[in-house]
Amino acid sequence: MVRLGVARAQGRRGEIIAGLSERMLTLDPANHYSISATSVLRHVYDPLLDVTNDDKFAPALAESWRALNNTTWRFTLRKGVSFHDGSPFTADSVVFTLKRVRDNGKLIKSFVYQDIEDVQKDGDHAVTVTTKRPFGSLPAHLTMLGMLPPSAGEEAFFQKPVGTGPFRFVSWTHGDRVELAANARYWKPGVPRVEKVTVRFIPELSTRAAALRAGEIHVIDRVWPDMVQTLKATPGVKVLDTPALEAQRWHFQLARETVKDPRVRKAVSLAINRDVIIKDLLLGYARPVVSPIPPGLIGHTNLGQKPYDPEKARQLLKEAGQSKLTLDFVLMKDLYPKQLEIAQAVAAMLGEVGVKVNIRNLEIATAREQRTAGNYDLFYSGWAHMPHDPDWYFGQWFTKAGAEKLTRFSDPRVEQLIAEGRVPDPKVRQQKYAEIERILWDEEPEIWPYYSVAIYAISDKLSNFEARRDYYVLLHEVGIA
Amino acid sequence: MRSYLLRRLGQAALTLAGVSLLVFVILRVIPGDPAKMLLPEGAPQSAVDALNRALGLREPIWVQYVIFLRSVIRGDFGESFQYRAPALRVVAERAPATIQLALVAMLLTVLVGVSIGVLAAVRRGTGYDYAGTVLAVLGQSLPNFWLGIMLVLLFGVTLRWLPTSGFQGWSYLVLPSVTLAAFPTALVARLTRSSLLEILGQEYIRTGRAKGLGERAVIWRHALRNAMIPLLTVLGLQIGTLLGGAVITESIFAWPGMGKLVVDAIFFRDFPVVQTVLIISATIFVVINLLIDVLYTMLDPRIRYG
Repeated sequence: MVRLGVARAQGRRGEIIAGLSERMLTLDPANHYSISATSVLRHVYDPLLDVTNDDKFAPALAESWRALNNTTWRFTLRKGVSFHDGSPFTADSVVFTLKRVRDNGKLIKSFVYQDIEDVQKDGDHAVTVTTKRPFGSLPAHLTMLGMLPPSAGEEAFFQKPVGTGPFRFVSWTHGDRVELAANARYWKPGVPRVEKVTVRFIPELSTRAAALRAGEIHVIDRVWPDMVQTLKATPGVKVLDTPALEAQRWHFQLARETVKDPRVRKAVSLAINRDVIIKDLLLGYARPVVSPIPPGLIGHTNLGQKPYDPEKARQLLKEAGQSKLTLDFVLMKDLYPKQLEIAQAVAAMLGEVGVKVNIRNLEIATAREQRTAGNYDLFYSGWAHMPHDPDWYFGQWFTKAGAEKLTRFSDPRVEQLIAEGRVPDPKVRQQKYAEIERILWDEEPEIWPYYSVAIYAISDKLSNFEARRDYYVLLHEVGIA
Repeated sequence: MRSYLLRRLGQAALTLAGVSLLVFVILRVIPGDPAKMLLPEGAPQSAVDALNRALGLREPIWVQYVIFLRSVIRGDFGESFQYRAPALRVVAERAPATIQLALVAMLLTVLVGVSIGVLAAVRRGTGYDYAGTVLAVLGQSLPNFWLGIMLVLLFGVTLRWLPTSGFQGWSYLVLPSVTLAAFPTALVARLTRSSLLEILGQEYIRTGRAKGLGERAVIWRHALRNAMIPLLTVLGLQIGTLLGGAVITESIFAWPGMGKLVVDAIFFRDFPVVQTVLIISATIFVVINLLIDVLYTMLDPRIRYG
């Protein structure tokens, strides 16, 4: 009864039910790269840092952080925070969480943390992380890693986990729902604003939309452009959209004789009318691309839009001696909104300049195997920047080791710049990344057709809901009438 | 009968061993790499290799099969790659939803399908017969996903009589079970009508009527009982299919059953879960078919197995 009184005093009431698109496979924050799971688990666990929707890092369990030198980070921790079981949050928790993810190779996030050399506590409320090489993106990665109590074991703990987050874990019915209840002692005043949050997993968009329209749930993510009109016409439903931290990128297989020639890649790029894709196929729910990485990420530099010039494309192809070019365009089946229609439109556009496109719409695992084997010219893909840092994208796709079994990209200049851009100093990073972007923009190892737009639909009973650029659905500061 | 049963059980064991080998090999032969599907798209090759080793997928395939068979005999179906939990537990968690849906859909199929079929046969050539035929054609030709979505839009969104999706109680069962039952109901209705018509033309039916049996007894006790044999065969196959999970219906209604689980497991190359579901459904099929064969002898004393 006392707790109820406190809740009332803070105006905490009601239940929010969200319908998310992607199923959740684990309650372990170190064992997934799923956006739905990141959203759900952010309610149960706090990370050291959060990232705001205008792309700034904000204190969560770390009150402050700074780089002592290129390979040392220091985090000062928040005091007076406790886990849902009452035990205090201290430096031991950070040491445990970071060492666990580095050392347990079975964890999905393990490979990202291999650069950590050591994690030392300095008293109960400060931690120093030393790294084997500069790890400037560490704060960004830490926004996605919930802190565990040092007593957490493996399997049993994750059946009914405790964190320091705004909600306590109540139950998880696999394939159906997760139920959470407000943590009345949350360190952030006035948060959460509701007593209960239920997250349902509804992969089928028409089902998600029907549940929202029937008033059974209050928010859905991943709405497709062609569903917007129906939702907008439903009383009590609002549609929100925001430019996502996701660039569509179709990469070339750079070891293939045909597209190895930069003139051919340039011709393909010139022949694609990106405006048509954005306006006619995506109904305006996409943004023109002005750099390989979307605005909001460190290093983003506006390089201007790519032109549409079929005449010049034809000329370049002629120069390259490729008058009868055929390209294999591989798609991962049903992964991106409208992808088949877009690929068909692109095939028609390339047909105009005399390039024949062979669309191969393959099941995801098969498509990826084909990519590893190098059996493609162009591969339809997107990159949602998780975490909010371009280092992963650059390091994976534009270093020799990273791209070896993907795009076969290799350029020592770029490789050097990526390594130099790993330092913590934001000014250095900005400058190095701007340079990388210029090189890529010029050489076009990928086609960047558009930046995605994230579309959500919510009940008008919700207040303070934020349409996130990273596709997260975060409800701790959301209220319900 | 006993030796027959023993022989059938022996055959069943062989069938299941064959299924397990087939599933095991096919999963490993098709393109696709489990570790790559688990890790994010840009994970480095070293992480892919390390995870594959941790999952035991770097052993030669026959070694993997022997390890698998040994554990299955102990009741251990391995650990799900995606859930990092015992595959049997992952599957068992989804079983209640599937079983509920399958049983309710089956009940609907039998009640509605047989009633329509009997009515159409007895009132042959009347409006009832034509209405039954139209319903049956609709049920068999409307695609599942379309029917499901229409039902959701009408009863869930517009009228708000029933929940649109999810799995929380009896009211949640109505729309998915109707969607799922549509096709088998139509099948059963048509089958009942035709086999009943055939039997109604037989001489022993005339004998029955001649000796003054009521129409009710003729139809329900004599005719229908004999018409049950082909029906039972079809029902056995249908329930086997339903218990294996109904992917499309489960997707439309966000129903946490085994069908969606296994399809996702195939997509993500979660071998242990696929193996578990397929071996369990194969077992269900084999057992149900055995039961149906035994049931024949009860319906028709002329059928004997020696």
